[in-house]
Amino acid sequence: MRESPLRSLAVLLAVALVCSVLVSVSAVVLRPIQAENARIERYRHIVALSGLLDGAADAAGIAAAVAQLDMRVVNLDTGEFMDDRDPDDVNARRVANDPALSTTIPPEHDLARIGRRSRYEVVFLVRDEGRLSRVILPIHGQGMWSTLYGLIALDADLNTIAAVTFYEQAETAGLGDQIEDPAWQARWTGRRLRGQSGDFRFQVAAGPVDEGSPAASHQVDGLSGATLTGNSVTALMRFWFGPYGYGPLLERMADRKE
Amino acid sequence: MSVKETLIDPLVNRNPVTLQVLGICSALAITSALDTALIMGASLTAVLVFSNTMISLIRRLIPNSLRIIIQVTIIASGVIVVDQVLRAYAPDAARTLSVFVGLIVTNCIVLGRAEAFAVKNTVLMSLLDGIGNGLGYTAVLVVVAAIRELFGAGTLLGYEVLPLAANGGWYVPNQLMLLPPSAFFIIGFLIWGIRTWKKGQVETKEFEEVRVRPAAPDPATLVAAGRAAS
Repeated sequence: MRESPLRSLAVLLAVALVCSVLVSVSAVVLRPIQAENARIERYRHIVALSGLLDGAADAAGIAAAVAQLDMRVVNLDTGEFMDDRDPDDVNARRVANDPALSTTIPPEHDLARIGRRSRYEVVFLVRDEGRLSRVILPIHGQGMWSTLYGLIALDADLNTIAAVTFYEQAETAGLGDQIEDPAWQARWTGRRLRGQSGDFRFQVAAGPVDEGSPAASHQVDGLSGATLTGNSVTALMRFWFGPYGYGPLLERMADRKE
Repeated sequence: MSVKETLIDPLVNRNPVTLQVLGICSALAITSALDTALIMGASLTAVLVFSNTMISLIRRLIPNSLRIIIQVTIIASGVIVVDQVLRAYAPDAARTLSVFVGLIVTNCIVLGRAEAFAVKNTVLMSLLDGIGNGLGYTAVLVVVAAIRELFGAGTLLGYEVLPLAANGGWYVPNQLMLLPPSAFFIIGFLIWGIRTWKKGQVETKEFEEVRVRPAAPDPATLVAAGRAAS
């Protein structure tokens, strides 16, 4: 068969056209399923902290648990729920430095050393037969080398820690990165944030917790070799449960219940 | 070549990995667990069947000078579709395989079969060639991944086969098996095993071995040298 430039061009265009249609159709048709997968992946840690699932969950189990979560947008400055906002539109991490959507933290309050934080954050309320059983709050702060991202779940008394996770960090390998260790995170369960008088007392201890001491119920074991990371965790906890963190929200929630 | 040969031969006799030593990079990277190896094998087979069939279908239309460009376009489109399907229906596997699905585009087996077979054979035979070579690649991946997962983690498809010392059993996993270099040894042993079994696969030497033996010294020179020294 004779080859001419025109014929070559025609074949090339036809192949390109057929292939591009194929690629476009597959991308468009499958996009909703992929978006749902990405959403489930985003909520994997939250579901793990919700107490709605036992052990490892598959995608279907996570999707079912996500459907049970009550996602609420909170204005951190006032502590009010913003029910007119769609939780899927709030990305606190992306807007943390956007002047229109974030708040500067006064240096004396900036224990987590993050400078600014988003004005709006998504929190997750877990209900058991209609009654609040857990509140899941995103937290983050500067560690020794990196920003630590975590989630903390509180029991209905808004004081007892139900579970915690740190899922993103780049602390010293083998030392500070132990904050991702599930065994260490499990020791947070049952510890309390505040003392009888309402003062914030929770801390990562220096070394193992002396279970006999009165402070024990507010402490978790320190990680050996990771004093600075541990101190950072204490500081970011203090920040997030203070006036520039979830303090206003938790006050409002406690008032409403009474 | 018969239908049966086209389909069965690539499994052992003309295996793309062990005989032609193609597609080694992905065989090293994604064989630390059996399930990822199976999904990778299925993905490559799907791409190979698609590209072989499509290229064979238009083999008389493809201008010779643009051959490779058109083949790669078709292969790349197939890879994107497979990647999209995996992301939708097997998101965990897609995350584990990460870039390696996309890298099927550069897998020598796919372009190799297009150039060596699909451009000059009928659609049906090209389709069968695609299935055969895909299965041949998958077979090697499965053997290597089964060995690596069994001895590296004590499991097969995630189920504990060898009781682990950590769970009260007796087996201490060999961490080396989970690292890519172990696939080098295993594929090497596999090739050696197959070539011992099927002598025909042993490559002919590209050079001639000549053994050079130093000539025995002449006794007269030895005597002369002894005299000079004393």
